[in-house]
Amino acid sequence: MAHNPQREDYQRLSLRFARELDAGDPGAATRAYAGFARRFAQDRDGLPQTDADRAFHLVVLATEAIDYQLPFASDEQAQDLIRRGRDLLGEALSLDPSCHDARRMLSSSETPSLEARYRFLADGADQVRASCERARAEQAASFDGERRALAADIAMRPYWRWMASLAEEALICGHNHAAAEAAEALLSSDPRDTSDVRFTLAYALAKLEDEPGLAALERRYALISPLRGPDDAWLLLAKVALAHRRLDLGAARRGLARLLDAYPSGALALIRQAELPDGEFARLRVSAGSEDELILAISEGIVLLQEGNDRAGRGALGSWVAGEVSRISPDAAREAARVSRQEGVQRP
Amino acid sequence: MNAWDELVERCAMRRNEKIGPLSADAYRELLIAVRADPRAFVDDPAEQALLEVARALDAYRASLRDDDLLDDDAYQRERGKRLAALAASCAQAASIDGGCLDARLIEALALDLDPDPLLERLLDLEREAADRELPTGDAWADVLSRPRLRLRAAIARACLDGAHARMARACAGSVIDAAPNDEPGARHTLALACARLEDEAGLNELDARFSHREDAWSHLARVILLFKLDRMNAARRALRGYDELCEGGAYALLRPTLVEPYLPDRPDAPVRSFDECTFAVREAEPIIADTPDLIPWCQDQEWLVASAARFAQGRGLDW
Repeated sequence: MAHNPQREDYQRLSLRFARELDAGDPGAATRAYAGFARRFAQDRDGLPQTDADRAFHLVVLATEAIDYQLPFASDEQAQDLIRRGRDLLGEALSLDPSCHDARRMLSSSETPSLEARYRFLADGADQVRASCERARAEQAASFDGERRALAADIAMRPYWRWMASLAEEALICGHNHAAAEAAEALLSSDPRDTSDVRFTLAYALAKLEDEPGLAALERRYALISPLRGPDDAWLLLAKVALAHRRLDLGAARRGLARLLDAYPSGALALIRQAELPDGEFARLRVSAGSEDELILAISEGIVLLQEGNDRAGRGALGSWVAGEVSRISPDAAREAARVSRQEGVQRP
Repeated sequence: MNAWDELVERCAMRRNEKIGPLSADAYRELLIAVRADPRAFVDDPAEQALLEVARALDAYRASLRDDDLLDDDAYQRERGKRLAALAASCAQAASIDGGCLDARLIEALALDLDPDPLLERLLDLEREAADRELPTGDAWADVLSRPRLRLRAAIARACLDGAHARMARACAGSVIDAAPNDEPGARHTLALACARLEDEAGLNELDARFSHREDAWSHLARVILLFKLDRMNAARRALRGYDELCEGGAYALLRPTLVEPYLPDRPDAPVRSFDECTFAVREAEPIIADTPDLIPWCQDQEWLVASAARFAQGRGLDW
């Protein structure tokens, strides 16, 4: 599903707009509403909005800069984008001190270590939850029916994103039970899993080598994610990892074959195993089943791939996966070697 | 592993089977005679192979002595040479008796492989050796079963090193089940595997099983477990315990050093000594690396750093 900041921005203002119109003449309201999309695109500032709405819009702009432009920027542009992102988030917070998204995103550059970021997110979780639940209660009072459901959803999303970040950070820090607990807490607050936190949960269970837990999660997919079955790279890679950890290499090979079926152009990514920065707003939005999705899953899967004491430093599973995929796909192996050489040349 | 002691025991056993059964007194006399000159009693390929292993281990240990004088490159060359020589001698011993598990275990370990290729070899060895059942009761009491127990303990360590924590836990657990006094020291691997899996119940059970006999591994495992479970006050207390009770523990943790592969088992070290700490830290290394801010957190504890610095100064070590 994934979080879509632009759409959320639109939804926030359309709800606000609808509420103001509901007070007046229904005919005029319908006509006015028809023009909303145009006004959103051309005259966003002229639409009715609160400081919280304005703050969220700044978060959206910061997300564009940090999550979507920064990865493709030159070193020079990068500094500007980072500064711009930070300024926007700071401004968002000064408009709305309870803009949890801004606070959470800023914390990743303001905390001195992974552990400190984890601590910050873990310590803040209850308070963010309470704050979002208060906002949800307020929204519930001002809307009916579908709008009420959407407003309630929007009110809770900052908490959901907070918990998704917490689960991911816990996983990176090696607090695997804490990662699973945060993911479960999020799933009970948002059973439809807007944040796709079940992916992080799959990795936490693989780190704990919890086979029954992972099997149970796969069965829960039907409820959590009725539109997308258990064919995502996270679950598939978690299963490969578990098979490899119990040294059932036959099952691990079959799992890898399933992964390559689901992501037919994924061999190169599986050999290279690149680590990318995580999305700050939320996990980056990519199409289901795309190579980009596999790249994200592999990057988050570094915690599984790179564990173990092998000399190459790729980790036991990482070396095995790269070796197997190179064997299946020699072309991809050659391409990976070529890209590595090129990077070696470019590196100072 | 004291290969000579086991050789003596095995030679005496075999002689007793041939000429005995001897009375207890006569058997003691026999043991004294064998100990005085084990070579004279070696009359079977199994003991012949073990004799070669004992000699190879002596030669290897003797060759470790002059390392301090070498620079890095020369050291690496020497190290490669002596491991290769040991592997070759053990291969030679195994050619005398293919059933000499210790020879084949040491050969595999001396090849200095990555954890998974090593594990593969060790598991192959175990499959070959599996036709001989371990005795019920304390398997360590049977000198012929000890190679199997050493092999399993080595498998458990390779599992942990290659990120197969659950397998490490099961394998180390099976050693303790077979040899309740745990002469192979598999409980240490088990403690670290429990820490990695955040298995507090498992670690508590292990502590209770060995009557809370604390050592560098049990202390370090507790620190790692509590840190991973995010119980930071308890983790800090555990770290203090480790620092106070394990000599040079702080230094070993903050300045890890290269530890040679165990050939075939962990060298003896006094409990909670500095040597024991260096072993424990080396074995915990993949788990520590998997918990990226554990060491930075340790470095933030000023008393720990001060303790490590004091130890370094006392021993004339770099700090």
